[in-house]
Amino acid sequence: MAEIILFYFLAAVTVLTAVGVVMNENPLMSALYLVLSMLGIAGLFFLLQAPFIGAVQIMVYAGAVMVLFVLVMMLIDINKDEEKFSGGNISALFKGLTVGVFAGLLTSIILRTPMSTKILVAQQATEVVDIARLLFTKYVLAFELLGIMLLVIPVGIVALTRIRGGTHER
Amino acid sequence: MGSDVFEITVNVVKMLLIFLLMVQLVPILVWVERRGSAFIQNRFGPNRVGPLGLTQLLADAVKFLFKEEFVPPSSHALLYYAAPVLALVPGAIAFGGIPLSMPIEIQPFDMFGSHWGPYTFKFQSYDLNIGILFILAISSLGAYALLLAGWGSNNKYSLFGALRASAQMVSYELAMGLSLVGLLMLYQTLNFSQMIELQKGPLHFYFFGRELVVPFLPNWGIFYQPLGFLLFATAAFAETNRLPFDLPEAEGELVAGYHTEYGGLKMLMFYIGEYGHMMVASAVMTTFYFGGYELPFHLSDSLTTAVRGAFTSYNMGNVMAAMALFLVFLLKVLFFLWVFIWVRWTLPRFRYDQLMDLGWKTMLPWALANVLITAFLILVGGGGVL
Amino acid sequence: MILPVLVLALIVATFGTLLVYGASLVGPKKKKTAAKYMPYECGLPGQENKKTNVSIRFYLTAILFIMFDIEILFLYPWAVVYREFVDKGQGAFLFWELFVFIGLFVFGLMWEIKAKALEWD
Repeated sequence: MAEIILFYFLAAVTVLTAVGVVMNENPLMSALYLVLSMLGIAGLFFLLQAPFIGAVQIMVYAGAVMVLFVLVMMLIDINKDEEKFSGGNISALFKGLTVGVFAGLLTSIILRTPMSTKILVAQQATEVVDIARLLFTKYVLAFELLGIMLLVIPVGIVALTRIRGGTHER
Repeated sequence: MGSDVFEITVNVVKMLLIFLLMVQLVPILVWVERRGSAFIQNRFGPNRVGPLGLTQLLADAVKFLFKEEFVPPSSHALLYYAAPVLALVPGAIAFGGIPLSMPIEIQPFDMFGSHWGPYTFKFQSYDLNIGILFILAISSLGAYALLLAGWGSNNKYSLFGALRASAQMVSYELAMGLSLVGLLMLYQTLNFSQMIELQKGPLHFYFFGRELVVPFLPNWGIFYQPLGFLLFATAAFAETNRLPFDLPEAEGELVAGYHTEYGGLKMLMFYIGEYGHMMVASAVMTTFYFGGYELPFHLSDSLTTAVRGAFTSYNMGNVMAAMALFLVFLLKVLFFLWVFIWVRWTLPRFRYDQLMDLGWKTMLPWALANVLITAFLILVGGGGVL
Repeated sequence: MILPVLVLALIVATFGTLLVYGASLVGPKKKKTAAKYMPYECGLPGQENKKTNVSIRFYLTAILFIMFDIEILFLYPWAVVYREFVDKGQGAFLFWELFVFIGLFVFGLMWEIKAKALEWD
């Protein structure tokens, strides 16, 4: 019973703050709402008995990615860019389209998923040790490929900051 | 949180007490910091209010409370007010996850005409099985309070302080997280209580199939990972924005950094947040490297037996034994807190580029080397705590 | 499992809010003067300037942090099971696995340093 209440509470936090992200005109406030939404998702992971994923969710999304977002929001001139950020018929059309496409994709995935098997898969790897045993034997290739994928990031951003006309052109 | 009224009540009260312990340690630490700095710099420090200036803290608290309310105009009022509150939260939540003493077993007993028990109460607010990962995750949220304070108060000093603070925090988080990996290899667990259990007894490990025992050293993590400890301690200083890494509030350049526009209780809350982070760092150091709440060797067993023997009631004896071990833990943590203060009044401040260089180009490679060397030694020697 | 954490967060947030709110009630109300309400400045006449140019370095640092943070996160589960695999005799496999992963990590870091992406001038 307590778990159900907790689930609805966390779900409400996640969804309402996500609505806040979209509805807010100030991009910084949007980013902060997104942090709360991420924390709500992390809470849901904890509720699903997957504390490792929950902690990763907090650390990577709420901790690292959103700090980056907030930092960027502080660097841009929010007052000036606020108008560009929201408004305009064409941008509204694109917004509607993207939301529609993603909503359609998500619903179809949710409807096509046989729920019972998903729960079984989750039960096999909840503890950190279980995840590790799977990740470093069966999925070792994915693990190493991830290392290579992460290597692309520094190359990309350094190249971006060095673009001609940029502040750090060399 | 518990199955019946008694258990829930105890757990909530315990949670409140641990939080209040954290808050109450702050004025004492401020006093120690001021008196200690005076001692180090051959001054008197606050000595007028009460014996040894001890009630200075009370006077300060009252002064803070009666400060004029001030909100900078054209600041973002919501963020400006939210930042000091947010500064409290991560430290308090992280501190709740650390075991402060051994679990207390309570045998069934009768009270208010009904039968209660048996219970086992853990001496921590909650025991999430992933221990250290949870602490690291929660402390990674610490940057928000500073960022919001800096942005919300609409002052360039605040903004620069906040930017510096967050860049510094994220840089040192890497070295901090990486320096613990070596010990995790040895402990094979993320859970604090299990780590403390593994650090009992004299130093003993297996190397090339032979068991080596060093009877005069305790089986503490620091003897397995001295480099890891050094890296962790350094990173902890940077994470808590303490000297020699207090660039975010370098007085000469940035006035007071992210809390330039704050005063009164709101500023005090940033202080509580900072000291809270220090306490978490000290507690993690104690648990990982210095045996947590256990005395070295098997002394804590004799201590708990002696304390239990002094009480006729089994339950009371258990509670008091846990309290004795809690004192041990508190002493260790207070020692590290004193080191934080001591270093502050000893070392000069870094320059910002030096600080970032140290984090990225020195500590990160050393922490990586530490991981690889530990892994290699375990592979060839099969060594570790057992 | 997560309930106590939420309860504690609620308690702490309430405590903080009460402190801030209480102090605003208790504190004296004084006259607002123009000088007092200017953003803090040291010695010069204060000026309000919302637009501040901040070095792109902060952004660069943050995004590099994300990358290394994710890499480090994968080392925790690895560290927890490593000795188990060593005891089973499969330690070499896991060691080389980590060696390659950390090799990529070190390569990225070295590249950053070589490309002077971590310089603060």
